Amino acid sequence: MHDNIRWLIPSSDKTLPCGEESEIVVSSRIRVARNLENIPFELKMKQTDAEYLIGLVRSIIDGKVNGEFLNLRDLKPLERESLLECHLVSPGFITKEKPTSVFISEGGNLSVMINEEDHLRFQGIGCGLNFSGLSSEVFRLEGYVSDNVSFAYNDNYGYLTSCLTNIGTGMRASVFMHLPGLVFTNEVEKVLKGALQIGMTVRGIYGEGSEIRGSLFQISNQHTIGFKEEDLLERITKLAKMIIDIEKKARDVIMTKARSEFEDKIFRSVAILKAARTINSMEVLNLLSALRFGVGVGIVKDITLQTLNEIMVLSRPANIQLYFGEMLEEQERDIKRAEYIRKRLGAN
Amino acid sequence: MLCDDCRNKPASIFFKEVLPDKTVELHLCDECASKRGLLVTKKLSPQEILQKLLRQKSAQDEKIICPNCYMSLAEFKRVGRFGCNQCITTFDDHIKHLIKQIHQSDRHIGRKSSSGTKKGFEIYKLREDLKNALDSEAYEDAAKIRDKLKDYGIEDA
Ligand SMILES: [Zn+2]
Ligand SMILES: [Zn+2]
Repeated sequence: MHDNIRWLIPSSDKTLPCGEESEIVVSSRIRVARNLENIPFELKMKQTDAEYLIGLVRSIIDGKVNGEFLNLRDLKPLERESLLECHLVSPGFITKEKPTSVFISEGGNLSVMINEEDHLRFQGIGCGLNFSGLSSEVFRLEGYVSDNVSFAYNDNYGYLTSCLTNIGTGMRASVFMHLPGLVFTNEVEKVLKGALQIGMTVRGIYGEGSEIRGSLFQISNQHTIGFKEEDLLERITKLAKMIIDIEKKARDVIMTKARSEFEDKIFRSVAILKAARTINSMEVLNLLSALRFGVGVGIVKDITLQTLNEIMVLSRPANIQLYFGEMLEEQERDIKRAEYIRKRLGAN
Repeated sequence: MLCDDCRNKPASIFFKEVLPDKTVELHLCDECASKRGLLVTKKLSPQEILQKLLRQKSAQDEKIICPNCYMSLAEFKRVGRFGCNQCITTFDDHIKHLIKQIHQSDRHIGRKSSSGTKKGFEIYKLREDLKNALDSEAYEDAAKIRDKLKDYGIEDA
């Protein structure tokens, strides 16, 4: 594997331990936006400002947190794409003309985008539901920088951001959930409407067809001002826990009413992943959804969630090419992806 | 246009999702969208509220200009983003209600910005001074500034 893509395989001993309910909560994420008061915001900043900011943040973080700074302009397109697939940077970030840089902590849990829409975007990401762990990590990192610079801030509006939708705390927390039970019992809409009522945004990511394919949903806070950070995190945690409870009940319904049908789907999915000679990433996503459900309800016992999480990330188009260290056409990619998955699941 | 799912009712929702391998575009009726668990609610996202609010333009917008980065209120309404931290104070009367409508609050009660030693900004000033000194070929000054930067641990200036 290419030496330059250490972020692909975070060393597991340095990664934050998985939070609660990780069979339903795929991941939690906190993102905090900050700008320096003495430099024009991203829209108006000069090239020299952008370069200066990268150097400044680097001089502050170096030696405090283990990790590496990557200048995006030094990376190959495939590597930039891979950062996106690993959720370490945003889609807009990899196409910027300005000098941009991202800091990635050794375990891969923490990152800082420099010169995104805001000067700095601190991010913490971890599996399972774990906002208290994540927020202390993210704000510790933010604290190192705030000890050394003045952030754009005013007493009325709090932290000032490029866009009004982030003003105040600058904080966006999101939780990425796998809800095949709710999809089965047709409760998704009811639950998600409830989330909207209390100021959360919901985005559905679905697979083809319905039932246990895909079934991924992302919930995040809409409002960034008028709340304390802890309160925002508590609200989203509470909501996630409420949804988890409903999801668990729905899974019980499946296990009593449709057990053999679902067992069949799950074992067929395992069989396909272990046997396929060519497979695209959409199909992988759908099959993994069935597997995750199987692991969650205890039907699949010999595959861990960690393995599933790894396959979910590594089988994406850019990552799979970097994993094999070569540029691959779509067809070859599907072949290599199948090869990697078979190996990962201990098949031949 | 008819709903892609039931091919019966008129589509009322356009849904676009960028998936790893492809982009899926769907036109669905309310009922089928809710069956798929895709949001069917008329509630606008903060981004949509902002876009709507920014469309309310006024003749004076060109004349309200940030003294620091020279962004006008008109430009702000066009691009939807501030040019610097002082834009916000300059446009305050015109954006207060926007914040309230987007977030249902216009009062920050979260973490306060600490005002400790702000080494970073001093380094920034020194770097600017150094650049100016070099531009005007004042090499003695430049050497002094480099020494100060070294005190801050900056060796590459
Ligand atoms: Zn329909
Ligand atoms: Zn300005």
